[in-house]
Amino acid sequence: MRQTIWRKGYCLKGISAMLAVRNVSKIFGRNDERYVALEGIDLDVAAGEFVCLLGPSGCGKSTLLNIIAGFDQVTSGSVESDGAPVRGAGKDRVMFFQDAGSALLPWLSVEENMRFALRVRDLPKSEWPTIIDKYLGMVGLNEHRKKFPSQLSGGMRQRLQIARALAVEPKVLLMDEPFAALDALTRRRMHGFLLDIWKRTRKTIVFVTHDIAEAVTLADRICVMSVGPGSHITDIIDVTLPRPRDLGEPQAAQVFKRVESLLTHEEDVAEST
Amino acid sequence: MAADTIASSPLDTQLETKEAFWQRHRAGLLFVASIVIAFSIWQALSTFVFNPFLIPPPLIVFETAVPMIMSGEIFKHVAISLARVSVGFFSGCLIAIVLGVLLGWIKVVNDLLDPVIELLRYLSPTAMIPIAVIWFGIGEMSKYFLIFWGTFFIVLINTTAGVMRAPIIRQRAAECLGASKLQIFLLVVIPSAAPYIVTGMRIAMASSFMSIIPAEILAADSGIGFLLQNSSILLQTNRIFVALLTMSLLGFVFDRLFRMIVDRVLSRYMSYISLT
Repeated sequence: MRQTIWRKGYCLKGISAMLAVRNVSKIFGRNDERYVALEGIDLDVAAGEFVCLLGPSGCGKSTLLNIIAGFDQVTSGSVESDGAPVRGAGKDRVMFFQDAGSALLPWLSVEENMRFALRVRDLPKSEWPTIIDKYLGMVGLNEHRKKFPSQLSGGMRQRLQIARALAVEPKVLLMDEPFAALDALTRRRMHGFLLDIWKRTRKTIVFVTHDIAEAVTLADRICVMSVGPGSHITDIIDVTLPRPRDLGEPQAAQVFKRVESLLTHEEDVAEST
Repeated sequence: MAADTIASSPLDTQLETKEAFWQRHRAGLLFVASIVIAFSIWQALSTFVFNPFLIPPPLIVFETAVPMIMSGEIFKHVAISLARVSVGFFSGCLIAIVLGVLLGWIKVVNDLLDPVIELLRYLSPTAMIPIAVIWFGIGEMSKYFLIFWGTFFIVLINTTAGVMRAPIIRQRAAECLGASKLQIFLLVVIPSAAPYIVTGMRIAMASSFMSIIPAEILAADSGIGFLLQNSSILLQTNRIFVALLTMSLLGFVFDRLFRMIVDRVLSRYMSYISLT
């Protein structure tokens, strides 16, 4: 029987990390208005690993993701991606947004959105058709390449965003509650879809969510974050169950309960202070 | 099958075509009806209630218009006014868009110029007529300047707002994909601002048609505004009404034209602000 291991060690030993977050703190504002969003975050993510950052709203998980992406600067500490310090956004780490309608270019068709990615990636034009076919095929949008984002469903827009991200061949996908705005059925389909893509491309994924079921369904490791101010990672839970996971199964349900109790504890602590 | 049989009976086909005809032309028919009714009421009031010298009935106005159209007099004034509006409007748009983009993109430029713009934009073109006449005389230049003045601030403020409101998520997404600052600016920010710029231009065009009149009334010897003023001095109310109707028609036609061109050329950029 597979075992679920609970542990408190945050850093990978002996394996070189794709992402290395070291003692990161983030303070917004100054003097009287300063707000400590993150305090002492340590996290290593191995190449090809699927990590979920889980926490209640306002716990700073999106801030942490923005720091890893290079949109926000750390106040102290450091972030390394593939051994090099993160200074600004880079195409090795592609961010994936919940609001696909804003992230995509609404005045370009599906195909033109893909071309935009290849154009800014500076690839020779002769390679474009192959790459576009490959990734649009992978996300099942080949038939819709002439459509505009406004003519696509929410799930299709997210798939286009995935295809566009994959087209620049990043090493890491950073996902900020990407499926939170979708209906439950579409969301479940997107989970299966994302896991399939992940299996085929072996990208490293850091996935932010406040949905325990989503985290248990997807992640190799779940990092539970405390409520701010001074938010940090309180627990890391390895989930070694085989995929696809069914939360009705006893082992998965056990993980779910465990994570839930950790999260509830965090919220209780936050409310009592 | 049952539905087919019913639909093919001659009476129903006729009814359906009537219904379909109404559905298809509803907007157009109501538009014509609205104008016909308004003119009828005007005709009746001017004939039976008001003094027809002060408010000439529409049929008399049309009668006055015919010789003015035949002799080309009205077209001469229209052409002159349109030329003035065009030069002022397009030069105003061009400079306002360039400056507005800079203001929206570079914070320090905005901080430096915004207070001045905030003060100047309350000076309407009409308020600038007296000084424009002294600066540029009563020739074409003063009219170009006044239309430019009216256009400039409207387009400038809209362009700046559009550039500032280009979604940060869209810019970050492009940055992730490897876009340079210049690429983000040209391929993401400017197209995102397009609906704002176009909306500003449309409002500015309406204001141009409004401000050309006072400019020509006070300082010109040609154009629709001059026609209005001249007819007023000669107490020719018929001709005043011809000029007023011409002006409404011009504004209306050019706004429709503007929308048509935008729909043709820029529709893909306009998805989130409808122009109708």
